[in-house]
Amino acid sequence: MSAKPLGLVFFPAFDWAISPSHPEREERLLYTRDQIVEEGLLDMPGIREYKPSMADYKDIERVHIGVPNLRSLITDAHLVSAGGAITAAESVIRGETARAFALVRPPGHHAMRVVHGTRGFCTVNMEAAMIEHLRQQYGIKKVAIVDTDVHHGDGSQDIFYNDPDTLFISFHQDGRTLYPGTGFTDELGTPNALCSTVNLPLPPGTGDEGLHYILDQLILPMLDDFKPELVINSAGQDNHYTDPLANMAITAQGYARLADKLKADIAVLEGGYSIEDALPYVNVGIILAMAGLDYSKVSEPDITRCPRQSVATTAYIKRLVQERQEMWRNREQLRRQAIARAGDFWQRKRGIYYDDSGISEQQLESVRICPHCHGYVTLATESGDYGINAKSAFAAIIPRNACSHCRQEARDRVLRAKKQGRFDYYFIQDKPADHLEEL
Amino acid sequence: MLLGIDVGGTFTDAVVVAAGKVIVQVKTPTTHGQLLAGILTALDKAMIGIDSGEIERVALSTTIVTNTLVEGKTDPVGLCLLPGPGMDLSGMIPAKSYRLAGSIDHRGREVVEPDRLAVHDACRDFTDCDVFAVSGKFSVRNPKQELQVARWIRETADPNYISLGSAVSGTLNFWRRTNSAYYNAAVWRQFGVFAADIETALAQRDVTAPVYVLKADGGTMPLAAAKEQPVEAIFTGPAASVLGIMAMHDNHLPAISLDIGGTTTDIALWQEGVPLFAARGANISGYPTAVRAFWLKSVGLGGDSFVRRENGKLKIGPMRRGPAMAMGGDQPTVSDAMIVAGKASFGDETRAYEAMTQVAASDQTPQETARMVMEAAAEIIWQSVEAMLDEQVAAPVYRVEDVVHSNRFLPRWVIGVGGAAGGLAPLVAKKYQVPCVVPEGAMVANAVGAAVARPTIDITLRADTAQGYFTIAELGLRQRLTKQHFGLADAGELASQYLSERAKQAAMSVSEVETLQAEEFNLVRGFSTAGKIITCRRQIKPGVLMNISGFSQKGAVL
Repeated sequence: MSAKPLGLVFFPAFDWAISPSHPEREERLLYTRDQIVEEGLLDMPGIREYKPSMADYKDIERVHIGVPNLRSLITDAHLVSAGGAITAAESVIRGETARAFALVRPPGHHAMRVVHGTRGFCTVNMEAAMIEHLRQQYGIKKVAIVDTDVHHGDGSQDIFYNDPDTLFISFHQDGRTLYPGTGFTDELGTPNALCSTVNLPLPPGTGDEGLHYILDQLILPMLDDFKPELVINSAGQDNHYTDPLANMAITAQGYARLADKLKADIAVLEGGYSIEDALPYVNVGIILAMAGLDYSKVSEPDITRCPRQSVATTAYIKRLVQERQEMWRNREQLRRQAIARAGDFWQRKRGIYYDDSGISEQQLESVRICPHCHGYVTLATESGDYGINAKSAFAAIIPRNACSHCRQEARDRVLRAKKQGRFDYYFIQDKPADHLEEL
Repeated sequence: MLLGIDVGGTFTDAVVVAAGKVIVQVKTPTTHGQLLAGILTALDKAMIGIDSGEIERVALSTTIVTNTLVEGKTDPVGLCLLPGPGMDLSGMIPAKSYRLAGSIDHRGREVVEPDRLAVHDACRDFTDCDVFAVSGKFSVRNPKQELQVARWIRETADPNYISLGSAVSGTLNFWRRTNSAYYNAAVWRQFGVFAADIETALAQRDVTAPVYVLKADGGTMPLAAAKEQPVEAIFTGPAASVLGIMAMHDNHLPAISLDIGGTTTDIALWQEGVPLFAARGANISGYPTAVRAFWLKSVGLGGDSFVRRENGKLKIGPMRRGPAMAMGGDQPTVSDAMIVAGKASFGDETRAYEAMTQVAASDQTPQETARMVMEAAAEIIWQSVEAMLDEQVAAPVYRVEDVVHSNRFLPRWVIGVGGAAGGLAPLVAKKYQVPCVVPEGAMVANAVGAAVARPTIDITLRADTAQGYFTIAELGLRQRLTKQHFGLADAGELASQYLSERAKQAAMSVSEVETLQAEEFNLVRGFSTAGKIITCRRQIKPGVLMNISGFSQKGAVL
């Protein structure tokens, strides 16, 4: 056991649901609570429980641009969940705990920079709010996120897509077979941050064997190379073989061993909807592993139902790992080439769908390729509930290390857009000034 | 008339209460090593001039369980566990255990059946054991396997007593229940001997009134029930004082109580006239148990705390170097300061002055020094109160509503009891700018508490309407639900019904019932509601049989 305990923020939000029969409902962590309390985990000397604080709006505004504004989109539950992640992280930074697990809901990894509503059960990106809080308050710079949810962490990817100081690694069930339909290997980040986004789409039926192969051969070595100050685990638990929303074959032991090897500084719960058959066991496994305690006796009552990984899947995973290893080795060269190809600006146009809110967003993103800083980003966004109630906004994001030129230019672009008046709202997310400004 | 006896570390106190008045109070030194003799001395002194036929109830707050543990007089226990999948408890419990196959899941469903042959093997492992304990994970959701294993043990080893995890507590926490069940079995024989001795001694004195034993949660239980659940009778001293405070001071505003004794101060927080409970249970010999207890913080500061100067700085406690100089000791104490400051009057005043002169700075009078000592002592208590308030506001909660509306505890009163309360409690109250009360008779609050403590008992009903069952672990009960659309209100009613029944069986009267926990979750499978999971925990509220309005000064302080 480590000398310092594991920090645990357990916040099941027993009074919050998206809707009564939604997978994100009051009942979701009930059985997990029962198992944790019954095991006596909250009494263990190696585990210290923390009460979540409430995040400030400022913590959310550092990450998100809400259209028309954040206050109309989020609830107290989101502030507590993000606050819980921050509480967990601060226990580590302050040296009170060796590592921490924020076992909180609602989840957040599908929430992107611009927020028009709720998508993939997420409105506020907890990990992102936590990371930016740590950067602002404690001067943390390099961070790695390992997203172990079965769904591609498209929100976290989007928020850090232009940030070379954040290595975002996500393994997930292939986007061709599962929400949100993204997370392919060619999504690598903007040229400024190329290869700091790493996607590992996996075939349905991938089991512990495949997961640990990827972890050992690829993820852990990449983390060694990147040398982050903090490793964050977006700890979704829906790769479990009993999850009703996905088709993978990971077990509680598989997850616990993952937590043991990854040694994340902070884990934050994301999805996982097999609330009775998986979550109680997966969470106990992760908590024990993170606390450095024996997890070998944790297993599901119906473990014999877990399917075996197919030979074809094993072969696919080997190829995937080989290919990504090569990409990782050549990352600097690839980044230089992408920057050269892009010229002064890199652009993309996307449609983003908010499944929980029934909103479609069209977004044009433009990233300044700057030799002196990470380069500013502008976002032109328009959304409507199937075309009705259209809301539009134009925003600029000034990066943490912005050069004076980028800073000025970003501001000028928003001012110019406002003068033209084609949008409803205008924002500048000024990271060096730690301020979200509405013009 | 109610007779209350409290055995403390230093004194054994006895009181007789009649019609809201303490008519007798007796203080005798505690006889270490001869617990029973000390109790009987106090009893006999209190009974002088009282007709034994008039005693309606005898209530004891004793150290028998603690003594059994401290003196190593516990019995070896055949501890059988049904841990199922999950954390491995070996090395985290106070004794060797035998791990049996068999498991129940979080919804009380049997996953793996227990094995009779394995139980035989376990009994062979525990041939030297006359008492057994059986504890299974999630046994509170379905006590079937614990009951089954106990039956097999009875058939095989025929021990004198078997303690079940589900019977010691109806709430989740396998680790705590296991430790409780173990200690229950380990002290069972010693407690039985003690109970029998008490019964004999009372019979010899023609006291035929029922005998109750105080519990750590401030309730009492009949001696017969205590014999089946002796571990509940641990740590009753502080609980007795808290009950005494409740009897002597009826106020429902948020309060801090300070029981300032010779060497320690016990702090409790009060809300709506009752003290807050420890979130999960008491620790015994460093092991967490399911024994319910008041939430008390103990700080090493009392009347006998040693006062000295270290490098010119005034230092107080936490150690004790004998009694106050005024009482024949040879080192200055907080009590000496209180005497000099005019806040106490006992012993030799000149010696108290000498004590203060000894610790005075060069330009200080003994009176100034005494005030400074008391201020410093109050500061130490205040810091512990603050730490407790910090802890209270940081206690985890599990609903958004409770995070949004979490406020720091704001005391409106300070209540002081114990020998040194008169001098120090008002100084602590001053720091919060609230009034302070030191009730009359505060010196024997503990014995008063024992005398008037109400019997309590609790029950946990859990219903799973999707499975169509409800469980009451404390009664070893799992039954089909008969009512359609069973809801939280129905659960509450049913819980009260069984609570009354359980109380009746234990020969207790049911007074005020309160709800400790009420939870209702919709169980959604697919996209429709498949049932409800309801937990309802109710208890007979801890409290006092009568309020104490005064003291008639008969009796002796020895």
